[in-house]
Amino acid sequence: MILHKWCTQGLLILAFIVTGTTVAMASSVCFQCHEKAAFQKNTTHKPVAEQRCSVCHNPHAAKHKGLLDGPVDELCFSCHKGEGESFQKGFVHQPVRQGNCLVCHTPHASHRKGLLHGKSAESCFTCHEDLPKKYKVTHRPFAKGDCSVCHQPHRAGNIQLLRVENPDSLCFSCHKNEEIGKGHTGFSGTITNCLSCHNPHGSSRAGMVREFLHQSFSDGCQACHAEGKIKDNEETCLVCHEQVRRQLFSSHNHLGISPGNSCTACHSPHAGDSQKLLKGSRMQICRNCHEDTFQRYADLLYRHPKVATGECAQCHFVHGSDRIAMTREDGNKVCSTCHETQGQFSHPVGVGINDPRTGQEMTCNSCHNPMGTDFKGNLVLSGSKDLCVQCHQDK
Amino acid sequence: MNTKKMRFAILFNICAFLLCGAHAVQASGPWKWQRTLTGLPSGKSMVMPSALYVDEKRQRYYVVDTGENRLLSFEREGKFLKSFTAGGQLQAPYDMVRDSEGRLMVVEKGKNSLTIIDIQAKKVDQHELRDNDALIYPGRLEFGLSGVLVLNKANGKILGLDDTFKVVKEYSCDNCSAGFTDFKIAGKKIWALAAQERAVYSFSLNGGKPAVVELAGNLKFPSALAIGPAGRLYILERHEGSIAVFDKQGTFKYRFLSPGQTRSQLYYPVDLLFDPWGNLCVVEEGNGRVQVFSRN
Repeated sequence: MILHKWCTQGLLILAFIVTGTTVAMASSVCFQCHEKAAFQKNTTHKPVAEQRCSVCHNPHAAKHKGLLDGPVDELCFSCHKGEGESFQKGFVHQPVRQGNCLVCHTPHASHRKGLLHGKSAESCFTCHEDLPKKYKVTHRPFAKGDCSVCHQPHRAGNIQLLRVENPDSLCFSCHKNEEIGKGHTGFSGTITNCLSCHNPHGSSRAGMVREFLHQSFSDGCQACHAEGKIKDNEETCLVCHEQVRRQLFSSHNHLGISPGNSCTACHSPHAGDSQKLLKGSRMQICRNCHEDTFQRYADLLYRHPKVATGECAQCHFVHGSDRIAMTREDGNKVCSTCHETQGQFSHPVGVGINDPRTGQEMTCNSCHNPMGTDFKGNLVLSGSKDLCVQCHQDK
Repeated sequence: MNTKKMRFAILFNICAFLLCGAHAVQASGPWKWQRTLTGLPSGKSMVMPSALYVDEKRQRYYVVDTGENRLLSFEREGKFLKSFTAGGQLQAPYDMVRDSEGRLMVVEKGKNSLTIIDIQAKKVDQHELRDNDALIYPGRLEFGLSGVLVLNKANGKILGLDDTFKVVKEYSCDNCSAGFTDFKIAGKKIWALAAQERAVYSFSLNGGKPAVVELAGNLKFPSALAIGPAGRLYILERHEGSIAVFDKQGTFKYRFLSPGQTRSQLYYPVDLLFDPWGNLCVVEEGNGRVQVFSRN
């Protein structure tokens, strides 16, 4: 019995010594080739500091680049468990959702806090290349490259990944009442909804007022705000924009997408960065409500290029249409606008050609999901067999 | 074939049968496809049907065929009866009910009208609705004990109308970001889906503060609701092509059906309701049909 106890204790001590020696040996072996200095900066990743390279790397062989033991995100979230779970909620920054942690972070050591590759803005501009780096009038945090003053890098409850739900509270955290009052002389009401007029990054106008002004706004507030004129519904806008009313009478329309006036869900009544006075990029506008659509198609193998770039209006009407999904044309015409030769030599489609599964007219959508699928050519099922036999069972 | 091979073949087929059976049960849950209502017997497929109305007294289904500007009637067993266009006057009909006098009340989106059709008198009256002076964009329609209720698409409020189509009652969700998307009357209550909030509100027909059930599930794009005979909440997922089921407290129970064009699959479903005989009916815009499911 005593012999057994001694043996067990001996084995444990031996295992401890061997493990310690192996880790030390492993790291010293690694650093025989990999220069140690490159892994020693202001901020060093904990496993690197502890010389535990094998936490992420396999020293002999691996399926993943850099001899990694698994996909990058899986490795990161094996330690950063809480983050892994929280990054699945709300609006998630694209590289985070795709598991590309290394787009912003370096895995070993960095001179920056949070193991960032570069300054906050440097990392951001790697992807957000369309953003101007400078404006005639630039917001100070933007000019300093402190994107994280306003934005969350991983996830948030809003599409702009703002740190707070109400953007006004972000503005008011720096801009106090007195200063705000000076910039809005003659306005007696409560100042709210700052982004309706101001671009938070910058603009060519004083006070960072957005580039394009609503005619009624530049003519003076009274055009809309005269007593009795403004109503809490679309009529305020439709008085002038009569052509949109027709689209709102369509079987599929965007009425009721916000309380009160639906127009202001997407358009600013005052100023915008585009002629249409949209409250953000087209993709942002659509994603505000259709996040599920963007997420469903984001990681598929085959995607329509316009889905990736968020050019939804290429195929969809934005106010209303008498077609499913508010498409601009029927299921054939909307595709052949760009795919000119389709429908002429491929599978018969169009009037008189009915889908045996439903009796509906065959269109491109009978076999393709134009938004995207995991099958080549955006087919809804495998084109080698599964799709065809849905109708051609006797062939 | 020797006995050993035959045994293997039988065993293999039993396994395959069980596996396929298990898959089918998972796809449609405890629900079994009963029948499909299509427009084909009328000579034309339905184009983007948007609603189903069931007349218990007459034992008939009425399908609103928006794209073909007509109403189709079917017997309870699914046999096609008639196609009705109100003399070619209907323009993008979207929903319908029958009032206590037997007149048809039809929402016409093309005219933004609540249209009253008295078939006996061969009379069609269109009504532009207003709430005070604001134009109402009628969407869903129900006929309850106290008269007709209409969902105003513009603000997501449910409005009770009197005989002169004046707004006399309002059921709204003050904290919702976009109002209600759909509503149904069941068990002397109004049940309304606040899609953005992933919640179901229930009002007594007399008004008062609503009870709110938050739906604790991963809903993607909820677009319609139905209330089961036992009080369970059935939520139609338009983009997912499925139905999610919740108990009275909002706890997720199960999800069934899948996207596609074949039987028990859904493509752009738009309306969901229980008929008086306990069947669950799903109207599909994309597949131009109504599928009727019964309990297994």
